[in-house]
Amino acid sequence: MKIRINPIIKKDLQVTARSMRLSWGLFAYEVVLTLAFLLALAIIQADNNSYYSSNNIYSYLIYLFPVQAVVQAFIVVLIVPIITAPAISGEKERQTFDIMLTTCMSPFSIVVGKVISAVIRILFFVVAGMPIMALAFVIGGLEWSSLLYFILAIILLSVFSGSIGICCSSFCHRSIVAVVLSFAIYFVIYVLTFVPLILSFLWTKGERAGESMLFLLINPGVFFEEFFMQIMTGESIFGVAGSNFNRNEVGFFTYHLSQGKTWMFLSAACILALAILFMIVAAWRVNPMHSSSKNISRRKSTQNKKTSKKDQSFVKEDSSF
Amino acid sequence: MLYINDLTKRYGSFMAVNHLSLHIPEGDLFGFVGPNGAGKTTTIRIVCGLLKASSGSVQIGGTEAAVGTKEMKRLIGYVPDFFGVYENLKVREYMDFYGSMYGMRSRDIAKLSDDLLELVNLSDKKEFYVDTLSRGMKQRLCVARALLHNPKLLILDEPSSGLDPRARVEMKELLKNLHSMGKTIVISSHILSELSEMCTSIGIMNHGQLITAGRIEDIMQQAAGGKRIHIQTVSGMETAVRLLQEQVGVSVESVRENEIIISNNNTDQQISALIGLLIQNQVVLTGFYREEGNLEALFMQLTGGDMQ
Repeated sequence: MKIRINPIIKKDLQVTARSMRLSWGLFAYEVVLTLAFLLALAIIQADNNSYYSSNNIYSYLIYLFPVQAVVQAFIVVLIVPIITAPAISGEKERQTFDIMLTTCMSPFSIVVGKVISAVIRILFFVVAGMPIMALAFVIGGLEWSSLLYFILAIILLSVFSGSIGICCSSFCHRSIVAVVLSFAIYFVIYVLTFVPLILSFLWTKGERAGESMLFLLINPGVFFEEFFMQIMTGESIFGVAGSNFNRNEVGFFTYHLSQGKTWMFLSAACILALAILFMIVAAWRVNPMHSSSKNISRRKSTQNKKTSKKDQSFVKEDSSF
Repeated sequence: MLYINDLTKRYGSFMAVNHLSLHIPEGDLFGFVGPNGAGKTTTIRIVCGLLKASSGSVQIGGTEAAVGTKEMKRLIGYVPDFFGVYENLKVREYMDFYGSMYGMRSRDIAKLSDDLLELVNLSDKKEFYVDTLSRGMKQRLCVARALLHNPKLLILDEPSSGLDPRARVEMKELLKNLHSMGKTIVISSHILSELSEMCTSIGIMNHGQLITAGRIEDIMQQAAGGKRIHIQTVSGMETAVRLLQEQVGVSVESVRENEIIISNNNTDQQISALIGLLIQNQVVLTGFYREEGNLEALFMQLTGGDMQ
């Protein structure tokens, strides 16, 4: 049986591979990672390698891993919306989207193709950063499986960020607006999910969080923190933070989810589910059989403006019969 | 081939397409004519599954598939009025991309691409980047792309828009070629002279309504304002005028020095008999001809001079 590759993935990668942007992007990425690595190394050395220090420097080099990983995750979070937010709006701007919709590809396949091609492009960067990342493993004493888990976590993060970008792209006619909207949704998910927790503490004067922490299940930042804590210490952030919850402080669900690795896996599942939801919304939005008439009339007016500028001489000729 | 039944598209209170019904037979080259905002593009977009109709139905090739479904999309090749191309993609890869979007195998795409690029006269541009092609070449490439999955119906929205005169001629020749190969083609255009030269039938739209549709000959006759005939004589002018005025269904429109213009609703046999009658009565004829229908005049008349 021959596996069929989504044509959008193939085309996007072909187009990207020939672009200078990819080369410059990889260069910039490597530079940032190297600088982060050297800076972290310099700080560790300065803190632990002095004549008077009794610490063994090698036990601290393990921290190079989270430093590198967080830098990579941060760059991924920044880059993915910039790649995916113009994915559909860019096709609309380029006037290639209509042709795409008249083919046998379903809107969902188009959306998934766009997200996967963005994830693969991100993996170019992550894989290119592996040698620098691997240094932390050589001298830091971590297991190689951690590297695999890290890649899986990065893929999850890319899919999530990509699905937000593509969803915004399906609603916007201009790529720049889609990028801005993506970061606005980031703000809601990364920052505003803490608001219920803060409000609970304020309401109970710091005594009880109730179930307000459940909102953090969809927060990739919290997921990543939990992920590193599990990899490096085998414990949950809720335990290490010194707030081993008891049932009086938190609700029933939060109490049980904060035990073992449950939170990490459930959070990953929630983030993935949310990503799929974003993609379904995007597919629904780009499906012409569902889209609103307002978009079409706007598309036409945009096209008419373009024509009047670009083909002015011929339009004159056309209408002069 | 294409049956449009009572199609309506509303944008709030505005009717972009107003109860449009149309049948285009297989092998026809149908021209959609109308001023800007007449509803041509809206109709085409509905047929191609790019827009949801408010009511009505579209059927292609006798299939029961609904608009926008894969089955229906397989039957249509669509060339939009404005389209872009991807940077950094070669002509061969462009064809491969769209072929694979129809679920075709790479081997089949490669073979068909070669044939189609030859048909549109781009076989020497296979390794060129698409964005380096001229507008006319891009338009022809888009036609080749639309034919890749061998659709039953090819729809072109303003194919000559923005093309220079040479590219227009090339496009016209290409469409004539495709028509001679038996493809059913629907074209919307503003350039009436071009449509009247190559279409087998046309439909005129205005304010979302189909004002008239039919074979080009019939429309042209309609355009001639009821069979106007010019009769040229060198002598017997008075006799000729008298005889013509006596005939039922004939009215003398104007009499010039050596020419009489009549309009009539008679059949070809009756006209033949009429000319015979003039000759029998010693009217010396030097020539006669049927006035050519003027599609542009008809268009202006039907749309009330409504051109934007």
